[in-house]
Amino acid sequence: MLKLTGISKGFTGVQALSSINFDVRAGEIHALVGENGAGKSTTIKIIAGAYKPDAGTLEFDGRQVHWARPADAKAAGIHVIYQEFVLFPHLTVAENIFLGHERRGAFGMIDHARTRRDAADLLGKLGVDIDPDRLVSELTVADQQMVEISKALVHKVKLLILDEPTAVISGREAELLFARLAVLKAEGVAIVYVSHRLEEIFQIADRVTVFKDGQHVVTTDIGNVDRNRLIAYMVGRDLKDIFPPKPDTDAPGKVVLKAENITVEGRVRNAGIELRAGEITALAGMVGAGRTEFAMGIFGGLPISSGTVTIDGERLSNVSPALSIARGVGFVTEDRKGQGLAMQLDVAANISAADLGGVTSGGLLDRRRENEIARHEIDNYRIACRGPATPVATMSGGNQQKVIVARWARTSRKVLILDEPTRGVDVGAKTEIYRIMRQLADAGIAILMISSELPEVVGMADRVVVMREGVVSGELAGAAITEAAIMSLATQHPVREAAE
Amino acid sequence: MVDLSQTKSAEYAGPAPTLASRLAPYALPIFLILMIVVAGVISPAFLSANNISNMLLQAAPLGIVVIGQAFVIILRGLDLSVSSVMATSAVIATGFSGVNGDVIPILLVAVGIGVATGVVNGLLVTKRSVSPFLATLATMIVLQGFRFAYTQGAPSGNVPPLFRTLGSATWNGIPYNMMLLVVLAAVFWVLLAKTRFGREVYITGGNPTTARLLGINADRVTIIGYVISGGLAAIAGLVLSGYVGIVDNWVGRGFELDSIVAAVMGGISLAGGRGGIIGGLFGAAVLIVVFNAVLLFGLPVQFQIIIKGLVIVAAAAFYVRRSH
Amino acid sequence: MSATVSSGSSGFSRTLKKNQGVFVVLALLVLLLIFGSVVSDRFRTSNNFLNILEQSTGLALVSLGQTLTILTGGIDLSVGSMISLLSTVTSGTINGDVSMVAPVVVGILLLGLVIGLVNGLLIIWLKVHPLIVTLGTGAVLQGIVLLYSLGPAGKVPRGFTFLAYGKVLGIPLGAIFVVVVFALVGAFLTYFRLGRYIFAVGDDDAGALLMGLPRAKVILTVYGFSGFCCAMAAIYLTARFGVGQPYTGLNYTLASITPVVVGGTLLSGGKGGVLGTLLGVYLISLLNNVLNFMDVSTHYQLIAQGLIVIAAVSIYVERRKKV
Repeated sequence: MLKLTGISKGFTGVQALSSINFDVRAGEIHALVGENGAGKSTTIKIIAGAYKPDAGTLEFDGRQVHWARPADAKAAGIHVIYQEFVLFPHLTVAENIFLGHERRGAFGMIDHARTRRDAADLLGKLGVDIDPDRLVSELTVADQQMVEISKALVHKVKLLILDEPTAVISGREAELLFARLAVLKAEGVAIVYVSHRLEEIFQIADRVTVFKDGQHVVTTDIGNVDRNRLIAYMVGRDLKDIFPPKPDTDAPGKVVLKAENITVEGRVRNAGIELRAGEITALAGMVGAGRTEFAMGIFGGLPISSGTVTIDGERLSNVSPALSIARGVGFVTEDRKGQGLAMQLDVAANISAADLGGVTSGGLLDRRRENEIARHEIDNYRIACRGPATPVATMSGGNQQKVIVARWARTSRKVLILDEPTRGVDVGAKTEIYRIMRQLADAGIAILMISSELPEVVGMADRVVVMREGVVSGELAGAAITEAAIMSLATQHPVREAAE
Repeated sequence: MVDLSQTKSAEYAGPAPTLASRLAPYALPIFLILMIVVAGVISPAFLSANNISNMLLQAAPLGIVVIGQAFVIILRGLDLSVSSVMATSAVIATGFSGVNGDVIPILLVAVGIGVATGVVNGLLVTKRSVSPFLATLATMIVLQGFRFAYTQGAPSGNVPPLFRTLGSATWNGIPYNMMLLVVLAAVFWVLLAKTRFGREVYITGGNPTTARLLGINADRVTIIGYVISGGLAAIAGLVLSGYVGIVDNWVGRGFELDSIVAAVMGGISLAGGRGGIIGGLFGAAVLIVVFNAVLLFGLPVQFQIIIKGLVIVAAAAFYVRRSH
Repeated sequence: MSATVSSGSSGFSRTLKKNQGVFVVLALLVLLLIFGSVVSDRFRTSNNFLNILEQSTGLALVSLGQTLTILTGGIDLSVGSMISLLSTVTSGTINGDVSMVAPVVVGILLLGLVIGLVNGLLIIWLKVHPLIVTLGTGAVLQGIVLLYSLGPAGKVPRGFTFLAYGKVLGIPLGAIFVVVVFALVGAFLTYFRLGRYIFAVGDDDAGALLMGLPRAKVILTVYGFSGFCCAMAAIYLTARFGVGQPYTGLNYTLASITPVVVGGTLLSGGKGGVLGTLLGVYLISLLNNVLNFMDVSTHYQLIAQGLIVIAAVSIYVERRKKV
């Protein structure tokens, strides 16, 4: 049905895909896996016509095709369910579902009654109960995901691509989705399924393809691989080479930060956590479980409606980023471009951004000192760039991330919070970041790492706090930290044993 | 173990700067020089001492407004109220008895109004998340209403002689108002480019969320930006009142657009976080030269407006291309 | 579920559900009516209300086009210059000649449409924000109209003023026309795909592109229509004043935005509608009327208008992020 040959794509500073091959057959579910930044999303966008490849050919339905825009791919029968929803918050559920395929009556006028009826039917088919008249902005994330999925059922598609559809849904809703996919598969639809959850892949996929660092690693029948094999393909080396060894002392460090009863309106309820010097604590859970909001609440980046944060014995009831920074707490955000970097500024200015006072003398910024610091950190963290004056916008994700870590490591004397620190980062930089995190912990800093990647949590964390639906659902330490135990706390469903 | 971070990252460091990208920051100064040369060749009168002195006189009030506009635009905003502030402060200048003894109270009242307008603009934008366009538009209208009510439609009275001198006299061919512009430009350039506050302006304008998480009081920085714009507009209004001599309710009309055009031409991105005062002043210089050339070439004055319109669209398109 | 499905089936109630601004403006209108009645006896006369309707025609027409551009997340700052140009050319080319009326009116409507389409094309091609593009074209058009004439140009035949002052069953022609046009555009937004896509583009521009929606068509439609609305307003204003002059439209650029935001349409796009705008137009006309009866000078009316804009935008706080 679909065949990609020798597809390459580069962005400013990054080669996202190098000459990859990929094919999907009608009537199969083809899983596409790889770590963050492996090139899955770029591939999807090329198939969907949102990006144009720099080189290579795209065959669809037996013909070579060149999409000029997403509309072309759509017209040919390709439907993509993006991880970032394409939903219009001020339109209703029914209007969103039929956007572009409006139900029309006389004179080509939109038939609102039929739109609503058909939308209700479709949602019913999926097995969910969502009022078609509600505005999408009023729905929960899980319901939004179901609306997004139902859009794929509106018209006949030949190729359906799902990018992490289960990142925000679980249990019953996921089963409903899988049942629907089985029906589509039987009807001869080709399905590309991207997911981090390997157990799902073993449950539903026929074949699997692995990408790593923008390159095609392997394509094989699902029966030919097991879980460990798949992980080794994704990571490109044995796990023990990636994660620095954990310290083997049993004595827990001193508690430097203690958060109690933190409530963030609508997202987090009465959550608490203790961070210890010298330890890496992971905050695990599903997307939407409130992890980022909890950590933001502790840092002061989001308003909390109740709760206290105690740093080194000092009780703070009114936290703000400025106060947290002054007390030695840092926050490496998940959204590098949207919340972390000052994209228009250079490396030196980004590194000094959390400590402008430290580079000010006599009321003026000391640019020379700023450059000295930057040069030092560039060496220290092996940041690949042309020097302190390199604009961060031209750098790769991994190096941008190192700039942010360098910034916060300078000011975070006590606690460093890292939200998905390795998202969109190649495996080399990833190893570096893990090494840096462990180094900082060894130096006595308490690290809080938010991560959706279970191998990362298991490989790095000395202690794991799991959240589910806005509350802390459990805590694991030492040998008790396993993927199954974390998933069980995150979903409260006993996890099926993968790949029998 | 092979260290991937080194081998891999080398190719990630981005393409080497090309000649074109090296020259791009100087596009505007080069363009300005070219224009001056061409205008001088076509019409020798253009380069006469008298004409140059005249252009400098006209450029000063615009330059002063552009400095303030630069702060606001770098902060992702836009200040439409500057023309209204200018007219109001010009009206204030004639509102006293027209002697030099009034200069201090005039200055205090006018700058006070400019600063107050800036505070209101800043509060609307930050605390009520009103779009800067609408917020400054509304304050512009309100201020206009107050001005009309104050003057009852027809302002009268004289500008104190000191303002006349400041606005229209020269010292060895160099206008006093140009000296004022140079001083103000130097002060605010240091503030924007060399101080902690200036860096906070760039970070906030580039991304307010980032700024907030860095412990920067983004709201306060933004409000101060509007205050600077309002205060400088008030000073520009006084300078302009001295230049025109006779004040009506519309002194300064068009300066809101001219200052935005100059800033955008000077590479200050409306998306925020980018550009500087020097670029904005070059933009103002280009505008003034164009206006002057239009008249000198005997073209109808209307061409000034047409060219202004074409220039702003072309400049914006130029910078959009460059940022991709 | 069927119960919830059957409720709110008409397009009108859909509009209300999506734009609570309508309620706010309606409430303010009622308050003003009561207040006005208390202040002055003459306020309550039907003559006064007809007067208000008649005077609001020009503003209503311009604001209608402006509503659509703002719904897409854009704005049209060239409307003032367009009205000035089109109005001056109307009276300049008719120049008192009755036989010229029909061809000129058709020609002006087409010209307005074409200028609007040029705005749309520039926005699409240059990828520059509509604010800047229309600011630029507005300046160019203002220069052109001043080249065409520095003062009032030509004149219109006596019969032409019927467009402005004519009445049907005692109701001003312009007021009826306005209600009809607003209803048609409202129906277009509710019942036609292109209308739906206007909201989608304003809600999430990048998403609309990913969904394969015809973004270019949407942009051309709204800016072309804004130009067309300016042409209608220009013809009406020419009829009303008897002549066109190069500053006729001066105040309309900013004035056209006020009723739109007062009516609950978000400047960031994607939410709002024409009903709110029409009520916003009436609210502002009524406010000026009431202030007139209170012998408040036009200077203070300006202040009141500015404060209303501030109040309106402070009430409808715009969303900062998508879902």
